[in-house]
Amino acid sequence: MFELINPSKIFYWIEKLINFINSIFFIILLIAMTFALILSPPDYLQGDSVRIMYVHVPSAWIGLFSFTCLAFLSVLSFIFKIKNLNLITKSIAPIGLMFTCLAILTGSLWGQPTWGTWWAWDARITSMLILALFYVLFILAHKLIENEAKANKISSLIAIIGAINIPIIKYSVDWWNTLHQPSSINIYGDSYVHSSMLLPLMLMLLVLLLYCALIFLMKYKTEIIRIKKKNIKRL
Amino acid sequence: MIQNFISMNGYGIYVWLSFFATFLVCAVVYYKTYKTLRKYEKEFAKELSRLSKAEKKLVLEKSKVASQVLASYNKSI
Repeated sequence: MFELINPSKIFYWIEKLINFINSIFFIILLIAMTFALILSPPDYLQGDSVRIMYVHVPSAWIGLFSFTCLAFLSVLSFIFKIKNLNLITKSIAPIGLMFTCLAILTGSLWGQPTWGTWWAWDARITSMLILALFYVLFILAHKLIENEAKANKISSLIAIIGAINIPIIKYSVDWWNTLHQPSSINIYGDSYVHSSMLLPLMLMLLVLLLYCALIFLMKYKTEIIRIKKKNIKRL
Repeated sequence: MIQNFISMNGYGIYVWLSFFATFLVCAVVYYKTYKTLRKYEKEFAKELSRLSKAEKKLVLEKSKVASQVLASYNKSI
């Protein structure tokens, strides 16, 4: 199964995928922005400030999802010792950090008109900040430790320890009294968001996921070239 | 109507700033990632050109990645 993610085998497809995403990205972005900024209605309570949700929520989801992938792949890398998994986690981490920071920033911009404050040491917000710190630690481990094997081991350990924070973020709004509202969208149950708002939200999620895929493929390609360049004489 | 769209009933500054910050960060990260990729492709092509003809031929025959990187680099220049 792991033969499928062999860099030599998928390198050709990376270029094709990058070109495909580039060709459809701006059309989907335009549609998503039209829905998010023009066609979706204002909230009965929050007014037009609810539109911040269309960038805040997908950013937070991507931040959480990226770290879950990071932790899962780190466990696999620990067990099976597959070097390629480390290239993948190394390419995912900056994307996750970027979206976690964006979720915090846009959350702050949403918090001011809604709660009357830019920041609160609330369980959800604080646990998201801790997630960003884990991302920073993961990236720093790769940047500061010169021995690649050691860097991979330490960064994998950071990702596995950081995974404890994921359920804390998810259930923080249920376990503690927080300023942050409980989740309105549930995969397994009823969602409390009207379809007129759910559609732009899903479209914006699609746009940001396509963007993530684009950055991930470019970063992964860079990592493969870096490794091949290092071992060019041995090729 | 345009005035309403821009002001968003008083929430315009927060809404526009959120979207602007998101897309600005995305654009900067895209640009930096693209630049780094091109830099590595260029360095790889340079490294290849330093090899002797026989070595280069062997590398390109043995490594699919090497030949694809070279093709992609040649396309971009």
